[in-house]
Amino acid sequence: MLRRFAISCVVALAAISAAARTRPHYGGTIHVEIAGDPWERPSGVARRLVYDGLTEFDSGGALRTALSVAWEQDNNFHRWQFRLRQGVRFHDGTLLSSATVVASLNASCRTDCPWNSVKAVGPLVIFTNDSPMPNLPSLLASDQFLIALTTRADGKTSGAIGTGPFQVTGFNNGILALAANENCWSGRPFADAVEVRVHRAVRDQWLDLSLGHADVVEIPAEQFRQAQQQHLSVHASLPLTLLALQVNDTGALANVKLRAAIASAVDRSALYNVIFQKQGEITAGILPQGMTGYSFLFPPDRDLNRAHELRGGLATGTLTLSADGEGAEQLAAQRIALNLREAGFNVQMAAAGVQHADMVLRMLSIAGDDPAAALERVLWDFGDPAPVTEQTPAALYKREQSILDDRKIVPLLDLPLAFATGPRLRDLHLRADGTPNLPDASLEDTR
Amino acid sequence: MSAMRLVLAVIFGVCSLAALAACDAQAQQQPANWTKPASQLAGQIADILGPGQAQLTIRNLSTIQGGEIPALRKLLEQDLKTRSVLIGGAESANIIRVSLSHNLREQLWVAEIIEGNESHVTMVELDGGEPAAALASNDRVVLRKEPIPRLVHRGGTNPHDDPILAAAEINGHLVVMYADRISVFSSVGATWSESNTFAMSARLSRDPRGMLVPAADGGSFLAFAPGSQCTGSYALPLNGDTHESGWSVRCHASDDPWPVYQSADASSAPALKAFYNTARDFFTGVVTPNVGVDLPPFYSAGMIPRAAGGAALLVAAVDGKVQIIENNTTRIIAGSRDWGSDFAVVRSGCGAGTQVITSGSGEAVSDSLRAFAIPALDAIPESNALAMNGTVTALWTAQDGKSAMAVVRNPVGEYEVDRVTALCN
Repeated sequence: MLRRFAISCVVALAAISAAARTRPHYGGTIHVEIAGDPWERPSGVARRLVYDGLTEFDSGGALRTALSVAWEQDNNFHRWQFRLRQGVRFHDGTLLSSATVVASLNASCRTDCPWNSVKAVGPLVIFTNDSPMPNLPSLLASDQFLIALTTRADGKTSGAIGTGPFQVTGFNNGILALAANENCWSGRPFADAVEVRVHRAVRDQWLDLSLGHADVVEIPAEQFRQAQQQHLSVHASLPLTLLALQVNDTGALANVKLRAAIASAVDRSALYNVIFQKQGEITAGILPQGMTGYSFLFPPDRDLNRAHELRGGLATGTLTLSADGEGAEQLAAQRIALNLREAGFNVQMAAAGVQHADMVLRMLSIAGDDPAAALERVLWDFGDPAPVTEQTPAALYKREQSILDDRKIVPLLDLPLAFATGPRLRDLHLRADGTPNLPDASLEDTR
Repeated sequence: MSAMRLVLAVIFGVCSLAALAACDAQAQQQPANWTKPASQLAGQIADILGPGQAQLTIRNLSTIQGGEIPALRKLLEQDLKTRSVLIGGAESANIIRVSLSHNLREQLWVAEIIEGNESHVTMVELDGGEPAAALASNDRVVLRKEPIPRLVHRGGTNPHDDPILAAAEINGHLVVMYADRISVFSSVGATWSESNTFAMSARLSRDPRGMLVPAADGGSFLAFAPGSQCTGSYALPLNGDTHESGWSVRCHASDDPWPVYQSADASSAPALKAFYNTARDFFTGVVTPNVGVDLPPFYSAGMIPRAAGGAALLVAAVDGKVQIIENNTTRIIAGSRDWGSDFAVVRSGCGAGTQVITSGSGEAVSDSLRAFAIPALDAIPESNALAMNGTVTALWTAQDGKSAMAVVRNPVGEYEVDRVTALCN
């Protein structure tokens, strides 16, 4: 049970065709349909097809080598050096070098990076920082630090060129076309191509799946039950996506009592029961219970009286609330706005992605089997980077409690990612972050 | 008839008891192992609370069986009592709320100590347990599974998604082939501990395959990987070096054919070699020596003895069909629809004498192995299915020819090696 945490659980609800089992075949095109953007962070389906990181998580959440084959720290975690894998090429043929890696990292992190400087020295990429970086290898596995070619050999600005198992071949009529990278360092993918149909409504995705026009479609958490009723073949991750409210500690909500009032006013049960149809887990901790074992210590219950008490007579004016994402996230934000109005706050919904909202409802992927590293990545994602050196559960609990006491992060739910697959797709597993591992999937009707 | 029923009833009873014993063994932590953490937690609680009376509640968020909780409670109460913390009823002002939880790495016991408005938290960590091995099934021929002792890697942890391609016990060491290296493990107590690692520059693949062929001298081996071939040899170390340091492995780029079938007599030369398609992970169908007919691309091959004398070549083709080649003719084997891609031919000496052990068909989180006899052109099941602890990713005939070796990817992505033997029933 303990060791099953970081793997995806496969719920096979439809009878899979009883063809004789063979090893995976090569060839064919996997048709994927999604409601959002294939490049969006953190779970855009195309990102890990095209790009690799210096490190990555295996399916169990353990850190492993990727574009770098070894790393070591010195000076008490103030300096790290990563040795690059030799012979890796970008999709356009450019050789992966420490210089291209440094250029990519500098492009993806211009300010407030986890390091002061990153330099290319021969085959090494060297990071240095004024404060210790105990979890840097794990941070580099996160979606933000995937390595892309920034400038091509001919000096032109690159498009979406990475070292991953698929390369972009075009985008037409709402379909992102990807072709197998024959010389991928991690092995050629089984499928010859992947086509990602973007911005497709979920009901249309499911219809296409039933007609055999799609092999992989999305199942939003709130429609998981419906997918079961329709006997779809569902692949669901464990609840590793954190839905949390990020509260701005400047401006109207600079007073921690007001932020605490907001945290007390939010009704997690309603989000869980109504919006997300009892999928995932209610949480008031940043890291999931299955990862830490202590998350239950943070009380998730709504306390409206306490919220009123904390707010007292403090005036906030009109607060703005926005939500990353669409669909259920927007509904959840509206529900939270309602909760806050009941606590006496005047809340107005802001458009998705608006800058400088007082509160933002966010979804964050929490992958990996190291809670300290995961906590540091979350802090980084929330724009509040700080090293997490605590290792024991007791010390991590105290650290998490002190972070939560600031009330800048209000964890709400841990949600699963889920996908349904058609009968011709086999061996689809989900990565540690819950995204489908398409390079390792194959099609039954190819030879 | 009634005697038969009695025998069946006895067998059923014994099997039930065995199953119960297995379930019991699966309990993650035995009460005997709770003494130390219970004492530790009680000590930490007493340090916070000091002498006095408190109410104790225990909540189980872990996999500990509900029936074990009273024993644990008793243990905690005793330990608290020795530290002058007496457990009282609901009238006690202080509350000790113990939650039995777990995280990714271990079991975690958390105590919340509530004194009036103040709350303190303390916790202790316990090591997690290992699941017990599955029970074998039972039929005419019985397949018995013996897991190879646990492999302990140099880092101390078992890596996920690091497929084992082949393994063989050679000269008292376990040689294990991975996609990018060959590791030598030495026996340490009940485990194999990694003592040497030799890098290979094989072409990486998403369905990696490899082959280890121990030499007749018992001190060397050949290893085949896509685009690469290695030779390993052992020589007694000089100058007091450790026993393990005597291994050397040399690899070179190679597209030489792989020995897909080795004679039952390990001292003789491999009977059949096949060329491997490194880009698509199957054998091309081109073999040496020539077998008289064109073979289709295939995943695995083996020789089975025929009742009329001689032997026939069996291949599991890429198209999912199992074919037998004898007398320069290729025929399809009926009853092999539910076979996996790999099989192993074993000489058990029981039933038909020789069995073909194969994994089940279809995409499965939990595979099974089953033994078949092929007296003519039909595959006849000779055993019940033996449940494996995950997906069988490689299967080959062991060096002794009497058992099969299976690599299993368990549900958490770790690989283990099992020896599967066909026993007479």
